[in-house]
Amino acid sequence: MRTARLYLRLLGAHFRSMMEYETDFLILAGATVLMQVVNVVFLSALFAKVPVLNGWTFWSVLMMFGAVALAEGVGSLFFDGMWNLAWHINRGELDYYLVRPYPVALQVSSAALGINGLSNIVTGGLMIGAGLAHSAVEWTPWRIALGVLLLISSVVIKLSINLATNAVCFWLNSPSPMFAFAMHQVGDLARFPLSIYPFALKAVLGVVLPFAFISFFPIAYLLDTGSSQWVGLLTPLVAVYCAGMAALVFRRGLRRYESAGN
Amino acid sequence: MRGYRALARATARAALTYRFSLLLGMGAVLVQLVALLAVWRVILEQSPVNGFTWPQMRAYLLVAFAAGTVVSILGDFRMAFRILDGDVALDLVKPVDYQKARFAEALGGLWIEVLLIAAVVGVTLAVTGGVDLPAGRALALFAASMLLLVPLKFLIVYVSTLACFWTQNYMGVQWARLAVVNLLSGALIPLVYLPHWLATVAQWSPFAGLTSTPALIFLGRVHGPEALLLVAVQLGWVLALWFGARLVWRAALRRLTVNGG
Repeated sequence: MRTARLYLRLLGAHFRSMMEYETDFLILAGATVLMQVVNVVFLSALFAKVPVLNGWTFWSVLMMFGAVALAEGVGSLFFDGMWNLAWHINRGELDYYLVRPYPVALQVSSAALGINGLSNIVTGGLMIGAGLAHSAVEWTPWRIALGVLLLISSVVIKLSINLATNAVCFWLNSPSPMFAFAMHQVGDLARFPLSIYPFALKAVLGVVLPFAFISFFPIAYLLDTGSSQWVGLLTPLVAVYCAGMAALVFRRGLRRYESAGN
Repeated sequence: MRGYRALARATARAALTYRFSLLLGMGAVLVQLVALLAVWRVILEQSPVNGFTWPQMRAYLLVAFAAGTVVSILGDFRMAFRILDGDVALDLVKPVDYQKARFAEALGGLWIEVLLIAAVVGVTLAVTGGVDLPAGRALALFAASMLLLVPLKFLIVYVSTLACFWTQNYMGVQWARLAVVNLLSGALIPLVYLPHWLATVAQWSPFAGLTSTPALIFLGRVHGPEALLLVAVQLGWVLALWFGARLVWRAALRRLTVNGG
């Protein structure tokens, strides 16, 4: 509880400093909305000519785009500091975090706040909502609970992949999070149904970097579409596994950290 | 002239020093190529849509990839940071024209980009099958269109980066630009798929010249006078933006405040 309260206070400080630059704030939020609008225009233009993509309709693919945007949004709004980890390591600035009585990973992730996350959460949520409204899912209390669990798991998977790929910087010694960013972009592949990809890519997105569990598998289960719906039920397990791996990678990396000396 | 050549060489050398970053930097365009290839293969396997067959769409996406990769080494982030930090003051005292100097830097990395494009196009063709080359005249026009694409893309990036004189937030400007360019250039989806009014707007905007024009000429979907007109529009935008950028630059300098030295 104390951890969570402190976390919000750490983020709040950044939020206040960001509000000082009001135009910047609006530009960033607006640009993210524009990106999602472009995605929706693209999808509707595509599906205006073809009704289904491997059995997937416009609304179900829209949900996948929404799920990726939402998970990304939570990462940006609440955990954006992860993306500065490489820079902190390179400059030897992690020393300050090490002496404070608060988990280092949380100090790192609370060190920045990306307001673009807010617009991604809102637009992503709208896309998921619109997709669900046009689906034939019969909502029972059990299904709603499961839907919420799948959504939380999907976000946890995205956050874990962010943390693990950024923590790779402990080994790479690069001042920019290029590696993590490239992996983040690979995640964009999961905005489309996994079944359209060749086998090697399915293996990467399903097993190596399980981006498909952020969007495709849970949605396939919820909407009862595709050939392997049961895999969606594994999403919470994958989330636990990813979180554990990310923590392990981060802890291993932290042990390699060398201060720049002061 | 020697000064500009030195700047061009410096970009290439920097790009080659940070090879890993260079490859990772291509990620976004490459991911989009892979995703769109997979999507269209599934869709077009059954029947052509809007007159696009699978081999044609494959060629279209490869041209889009090439167009998206060209002039991307140009450090627009570097230029943005120099403006935001005030280091741009040092660029102002150098005896070279600022706009031409940035253009020279953009050109410097071009040959590396062409090699990378050749590698990706080669692998894609080997995996998915060949592409029909257009006939002589169309091929020449395609080459001209690709050549015009280089200054056009540079100018669009350059002008949007000058926004840093007005805002601290380059990232937002860059994202907005990428989103607009991706849609209106036809890189995300050929313009004929868009609603008619939007396609018309895009067609006459400077962005169509960034993918749609060369790609359609390559596919032979436009030819003769129509193709010439599209290339002329490209050229018109290059000239308009080159001189327009000078006006923006003059206005921007008046806003510049550099603290200390």
